[in-house]
Amino acid sequence: MNSNRTTTVTLPRIYFVSSGEESADKGKLLLNQLTRLPRSLPCMVQIREKKLSAKELLTLALKAREIELPEGTLLLMNERLDLALAAGLDGVHLPENACSAKLLRPLAPKLIYGCSVHSFSALRIVEEAGADYLLFGPVFDTPSKRVYGAPQGLEKLGTICKKTSLPVFALGGITPKNAALCMAKGAYGIAALSLFQESCRFADTIEELYFNMNL
Amino acid sequence: MMPSSPFLCVITDETLSPLSLAEQALKGGAAMIQLRHKHASGSQLFSWAVAIRKLCQQHQALCIINDRVDIAMASQADGVHLGQQDMPIKAARKLLGQDRIIGVSASSIKEAMQAKKDGANYIGFGHIFPTASKDKEYAPLGPETLRQAAAHISLPIVAIGGISLENAASLISLGASAVAVISAVSRANDPTLAAHNLLCAIQKSRS
Repeated sequence: MNSNRTTTVTLPRIYFVSSGEESADKGKLLLNQLTRLPRSLPCMVQIREKKLSAKELLTLALKAREIELPEGTLLLMNERLDLALAAGLDGVHLPENACSAKLLRPLAPKLIYGCSVHSFSALRIVEEAGADYLLFGPVFDTPSKRVYGAPQGLEKLGTICKKTSLPVFALGGITPKNAALCMAKGAYGIAALSLFQESCRFADTIEELYFNMNL
Repeated sequence: MMPSSPFLCVITDETLSPLSLAEQALKGGAAMIQLRHKHASGSQLFSWAVAIRKLCQQHQALCIINDRVDIAMASQADGVHLGQQDMPIKAARKLLGQDRIIGVSASSIKEAMQAKKDGANYIGFGHIFPTASKDKEYAPLGPETLRQAAAHISLPIVAIGGISLENAASLISLGASAVAVISAVSRANDPTLAAHNLLCAIQKSRS
């Protein structure tokens, strides 16, 4: 839409959100997973560790930046543009109640600004704010979002994708089995959090997802 | 730049509307407002920051944002206040440039000296007295430690923690450049009057 990005990059199709469940872990699981990304499959990786302090987040982001990642992989920070800039990350992901991309982009025009949307009204707002991509969900039932009520469903995902020209990542309860359904509804890619928690199968899960997306 | 001392800094209260508190504190003579709201959303913080910055400009006071360097940048606030668990000073300085103020919380002379070395513009030193405003894991530092810090460190020292109308002036006499308060203003029946009285007390102490 009215994106002001000065450089255009191709966004990867798989979007991995770190879980941040264990504060004692200080993001070690994420760092371990980053070293195990399949070499040929770039990912969007959002550092989202709600239990870490800003200082710890910056340390984690700097460590993540040092890891040699598959070409085209993009590292994003949840909400905090300051931390993304300080660590030299590729962008920020803004929750619906975050400071608007429109206000942040002038501070760092080259970064990627992604936005969460959960409704049609939020879609109009983030389009107007100049988002580079959208994260829409929860599409399917997922334990972490059950407190917010029923999932949004595939039909609404389809409507969102029709209403916007921005790349939409489907989030929430995604598995290798239902990924193709999201893609058929017009999703640009798929995003997941809990799916990647089963650490031993991490790389396999990404490959399986990619294969099932029918790109 | 930093206000001429001695001055009063009022930190917003998590449980109250920061805007009306800031306005009342400024009317009472506060020279620095620190927006501190750990649980507010980014969009809410940004709106408050813009509004408080405007109020501060009208009163020739400084608007400082706690922790969120991004919000300070977006709202063009005068600076940030960083705790020991927030973004390191050097990283924040790179983002904010030399003209913006960086204040840093220190609870020991060692931390305060490190903050000076890293480029802080002022030190929030405390807590000096027992305080109910924040859960504290360590004992109050006491006025003597404040005196030592002020003697050792050539940066403005803003004394914080348990400060009241009764003890504020003594801290300025010991070398603090300012006092920072939350509840002494926010929980007063008349926050404007409370700020005014605190300011009068600390200004008298040094004359």
